[in-house]
Amino acid sequence: MEQSCTLGELIIDQLARTVDDNSLVFHGFGSPLVQIALHVAKRVYAPNLVLVAGATYGVNPDPPFIAPTTNDWVHDRNAECHLSIGELFDLSASGRLGRMFLSGLQIDQWGNTNVTQLGRKSLKLKLPGGGGACNLSCNTKYITLWTAAHRAEPVKGKRRYRIVSQCDYITGLGHRNSDGITRQQLGYRGNGPQWLVTDLGVFDFNKDGHLRLDSLYPHTSVNDVIENTEFEPKIKKDLKTVSHPSIEVLSIIRNLDPLRIHEKELLPRDRAVTLNGNKHAAIC
Amino acid sequence: MTMSALSISTAENKCTDIEALALIVENGSCLAVGGGLSSREPMALIRSIIRNNVSNLTVVGSAHGIDIDLLCGANAVSGSQESYVGFEQDFGMAQNYRQGCESGKIEIQDNCCYTLVQQLRASIQGLPFMPIQSVRGTDFEKNPRYKTIQCPYSGEDILVVPPLTPDVAILHAQYADSHGNLRIEGPPVVDLLFAQASKKVLATVEKIVTSEEMQQLGGANIPYFYVTNFAKAPMGAHPTACYPFYAYDREHTKLYMSAAKEGPAAFQNKYLKHFVYDCESHDEYLDRIGGANTKSKLSSWKESSDAWMELYKESA
Repeated sequence: MEQSCTLGELIIDQLARTVDDNSLVFHGFGSPLVQIALHVAKRVYAPNLVLVAGATYGVNPDPPFIAPTTNDWVHDRNAECHLSIGELFDLSASGRLGRMFLSGLQIDQWGNTNVTQLGRKSLKLKLPGGGGACNLSCNTKYITLWTAAHRAEPVKGKRRYRIVSQCDYITGLGHRNSDGITRQQLGYRGNGPQWLVTDLGVFDFNKDGHLRLDSLYPHTSVNDVIENTEFEPKIKKDLKTVSHPSIEVLSIIRNLDPLRIHEKELLPRDRAVTLNGNKHAAIC
Repeated sequence: MTMSALSISTAENKCTDIEALALIVENGSCLAVGGGLSSREPMALIRSIIRNNVSNLTVVGSAHGIDIDLLCGANAVSGSQESYVGFEQDFGMAQNYRQGCESGKIEIQDNCCYTLVQQLRASIQGLPFMPIQSVRGTDFEKNPRYKTIQCPYSGEDILVVPPLTPDVAILHAQYADSHGNLRIEGPPVVDLLFAQASKKVLATVEKIVTSEEMQQLGGANIPYFYVTNFAKAPMGAHPTACYPFYAYDREHTKLYMSAAKEGPAAFQNKYLKHFVYDCESHDEYLDRIGGANTKSKLSSWKESSDAWMELYKESA
């Protein structure tokens, strides 16, 4: 029987599983799901991970809890050493950064991300901006994309999709941009997005660099994914269903985040939901 | 063509007060703000700059929040080259910044952290440009100031970015000595690069210490000759954190956000008037945010992890 868990915990576990051992990985700011996932990865899946904390640039910190803002000294507790902002980005430029996690208000079929603005020709909504996402998307060895808001409920009959055909603005580069130029043509060191973890499932990218559904969650269906995606997603032939996180993973998450800061990233309707391990059904 | 040179400052007595620092910031300046997100932003100096009705600033930086948003809410900004202005997942979008951008009052030319670093490095090193191995293929490439050239060695395309020399950098550090050497503890964000790349550097500090005390603390990390003037401003980063003195005041930030969400008029009345314009001095601001009680609450993080966590509970 599987453990009961929350959607946030399931997403954290899936993000953590994308981390390779013996690699140098950075989490940005404003992304507690990823921040917690790196601590899970270091303790469970990738013990030799070089964990660089976002905003504080501490290496291998051991925070007593997660705070609502990333640039807080609590996240720097027991860090072994520190990088400067220039040094961190130099690590990506030279190919030493193994993985980075990027998200967006729009993520498109080629893995481009947009956190800059909505509106292609004229500005409709100014988003906060990408921090270093643009730079990191190019040369970091692998990218894991994520969003906890794949589900796009219709508002007045219209859905505003998170997973879109084409981003209004490309903040972070995927496998090919809106003009069809591929990252190979641009000569970058990075291999681009490898995974996309959402609230509905886990995706990889096919050999053309197109988004493809790789696994569902015990409580989600192919139909959920189709309904909530702007384009027709490719679906892997041997579609898998992931299992819930282990007791060990769940206890790491719950000890590290007693304030449940990571749930702020989820859609309000998903925050209090428990996924019952036995029935594989969402119950509130 | 002769390139302009950056200068040093060897003045005897650079220590002044916050108001005198604020007067150095002129209309239309390119302003680099130190700190980042919820940490060590020079808020007392920003409030004083706003009280001087400074306008048409172009702000440059990496990851910012209430500092830039407050300047935007007070109509002091007409250009932004920031990489990020927001309140992370906690409070989301920066309402005044967003409103200023969407209404066309603020000309936006978003930047990225490493592009900013490379532009500052070009300024620091006196170079006409700096190459950068990213950006091409993204929509940032459309920035007319960026150029693609051919690498003279491989023949391949490479993007180059121009130097960025802010007119003024405003920083908040934990310590200064009487000479103006600064010591920043914890993540310096872009402050060290800003200090080296800018024409003028204005700093507020929590505490002024003797040279001996500075050595005991571990030494300065911004040499005095970069610093134009500095002033003492205890709790001068509030509501952002300045550890080890005080933590981030999430409760005050929440109050700020609720006023900002109501729109520009409500923000003027409910926040700017009370916490900025009607405060004659930084001391009066400190009274208005709760005086000694707030100070002791925000310094309670030191007592234990539980006390620290208490500051960030939703009801707190």
